[in-house]
Amino acid sequence: MSKLKHYETMFILKPTLTEEETKAQIELVKANIEKNGGEIVSCDDMGSRQLAYEIERNKRGYYFVIYFKSPADAILELERNYRINEQILRFIFIKYESKKEVTAWTKMSDEAAKKAN
Amino acid sequence: MAEKRKYGKKYCKYTEMKVDFIDYKNTELLKLSMSERGKIMPRRLTGNSKNAQEMVEKAIKRARHMALVPYIVNTQAVTDPAHIK
Repeated sequence: MSKLKHYETMFILKPTLTEEETKAQIELVKANIEKNGGEIVSCDDMGSRQLAYEIERNKRGYYFVIYFKSPADAILELERNYRINEQILRFIFIKYESKKEVTAWTKMSDEAAKKAN
Repeated sequence: MAEKRKYGKKYCKYTEMKVDFIDYKNTELLKLSMSERGKIMPRRLTGNSKNAQEMVEKAIKRARHMALVPYIVNTQAVTDPAHIK
């Protein structure tokens, strides 16, 4: 098994979804990460907020951040899944590699875990 | 001879605050290096250290992609009175 690396992903869901639908979408993404050999460390629910500019005529969006560890080759598959999903407006994957970045990652994920509790 | 400087010496705000990693989600930090219109300010104007400038550039570009920070602020749309629209 390849080595796990530190990642962070953020995505924006459409504002037109109901509360249950957004929850279902978040669970779907989480399940996808776990299915591809990743382990979720913590999540940060930023909630619905104003976009800095319109995306596909939407002025608001539901932001969600997941900090996770995963093998490097799984990211391509996760990205493919994001692209298929029509409820996701935007997404980003960030890899934290150097020592300094990894410490920043652990700090941020700890804060997110604290906020969730 | 060159005129005496009007303002105090420029210094890197990020070094002063002891920030060692600039996160793209923290828009308050990013705004220190952005103009009113949302442009990334050059190092010669802000006095940022090279290290901090590189980090902030990357972070702003990521934040723009995720619509946390605008690419450009259209001041005309802000200043136009409502009856024109």
